[in-house]
Amino acid sequence: MTPNAVFTDLLTLIKYALFTALFTSATNAIAETFVIVFVGDTDSAGYRGAKQGFKEANAQGRFLGHTFDLIHAVAPRDLPEQDVVAIVADQTPLRLLQITERAAGTAVLNVSAEDDELREECRENLLHTIPSRAMRDDAIQQWLRKVPGSPASAQAWHKDFKKYAAAQLNKRYTESFSEPMNDVAWAAWAAVKMVSDLAVRGDASEPSAMLDSLKENLEFDGQKGAAMSFRPTGQLRQPMLLVNDGKLVGEAPVRGVVAITNLDSLGMAECPK
Amino acid sequence: MTNIQWRKTMGALIHSGLITLILAVSTANAATIYVTNEKDNTVSVIDGATNTVINTISVGKRPRGIGVSPDGSEIYVAVSLDNRIDVIDPAKAEVVRHFESGDDPEAFDIHPNGNIYISNEEDAKASVFNPKTGELVAEIEVGIEPEGVAISPDGKHVIVTSESTNMLHIITVPEHAISQNILVGHRPRSATFSKDNKTAYATSEISGEVKKVDVISGTIIGTGSLGNDKAKPKDLLLTPDESKLYVAGGRANTIYVLDPASLEMLKAIPVGKRVWGLAMTEAGDRLYTTDGVSNQVSVIDTATDTVVATIPTGNFPWGVTIVE
Repeated sequence: MTPNAVFTDLLTLIKYALFTALFTSATNAIAETFVIVFVGDTDSAGYRGAKQGFKEANAQGRFLGHTFDLIHAVAPRDLPEQDVVAIVADQTPLRLLQITERAAGTAVLNVSAEDDELREECRENLLHTIPSRAMRDDAIQQWLRKVPGSPASAQAWHKDFKKYAAAQLNKRYTESFSEPMNDVAWAAWAAVKMVSDLAVRGDASEPSAMLDSLKENLEFDGQKGAAMSFRPTGQLRQPMLLVNDGKLVGEAPVRGVVAITNLDSLGMAECPK
Repeated sequence: MTNIQWRKTMGALIHSGLITLILAVSTANAATIYVTNEKDNTVSVIDGATNTVINTISVGKRPRGIGVSPDGSEIYVAVSLDNRIDVIDPAKAEVVRHFESGDDPEAFDIHPNGNIYISNEEDAKASVFNPKTGELVAEIEVGIEPEGVAISPDGKHVIVTSESTNMLHIITVPEHAISQNILVGHRPRSATFSKDNKTAYATSEISGEVKKVDVISGTIIGTGSLGNDKAKPKDLLLTPDESKLYVAGGRANTIYVLDPASLEMLKAIPVGKRVWGLAMTEAGDRLYTTDGVSNQVSVIDTATDTVVATIPTGNFPWGVTIVE
């Protein structure tokens, strides 16, 4: 063998070793099981929304070798002892506050309580994917400026919403549960999806890391066409849908009234001083 | 040389010179551009020499993705609401046949062997069709809401972006197996390969960014931000010399020009509203963009990176491809 041939072989070997190292590190990431708790009734839109979220979380996780497990708890007293990635809660304001205390340091995602007082609490580990009442009111006000005298209600979601692949989510949900997706179902689906996406990106090493990541790194579109994140109050910034007589008539922030990217034009943006 | 001989020679020279000049001009503008009009159920045919629409071809309902066969003899159009691919004969300027493509076909790419790789958004699948026979060659399970499809120049890798799973799936050919799943920014929409097949670039709509990835190792090797919260980027492509990466900025109504090495922004070119589709001539001298809400195509001179023409099309132009 000529020195040149030896050199070439050596080079090939080094290349192969590098390739193998890179390839295995990328594909053989440690498979993990992530546990998310749902607190609430199993016969509820919130539970069904969470189930849809788990289905999609596992569809993502399987490409990376990860799985997501749903543990169900009826009430705060049933919370599991083990460490969990996050808690999705379809509960009253009082019970939500109990859960935040029992599970200090773990993200608790409220999917149904709209009370503004809960946002004013600014609890360190309480996040809200369902819009607050103030957000609904502001969305309606923006609409009445634009279309005076036009009665409308504001919702987080609507079964006829089609833009931003909303039609695809509505279709998936209806196929799973034979009913239209409502606000609470969307908020629960969104809670599971945002947690699972951060988890597969390596942000779930411990519950506090997930909480920090939700508060600081979130960039979740929720099939509503905007990069959504949490306010200091724990409220998820999000576009709202305007509905008149059951029909979808518009989106807020309302174009022509405020900048459509100004999600903080809806509801309280900062914690009270 | 007699006077007559001299005149003949000069005449021949001038004549051939003129022919060369005419050839040069016609070669530079020999491109014919085909644009799908999503809300008109038509394809506009644009003459690259005059920048005018010279024909309008009726196709199925909601035409979106469009591409040319490797030999240039056929144009394929995904007609989403008819769940099929319409095949246009460019010589006849009409649809000559069609084949079933699965639910709601949108984006696709064409392999050097002629097969079409298409994303089936509703079914979390990518499908491979032989467009000559309409035969389904293979199906590959991918993430939720697959969208963009890109095939490497050597045909050995296919990228499918899944929008709701936030991944680029790298699929090997001919195995049709996934070799890498790369988590990127939210709602990845389109991808494109470098000429050496080793690197790919992909847009993420919600993150408003471009990721550069190593195809074999599946690692992210660069991120470029478009720095505009209205930028919801879609198509992207490299110039033939790979000195520039063009990105359609969606609602930012802008084409972004990035340095492919650093992903730093070199220039932002204002175009019409909601720009999504991009196509470039083989020589790389002209870039055509579909400005959906403005019902127009913008023509960009890549030497100066300025818009040199805007061409009114049908309603909501979506996809664009070029036959040269």
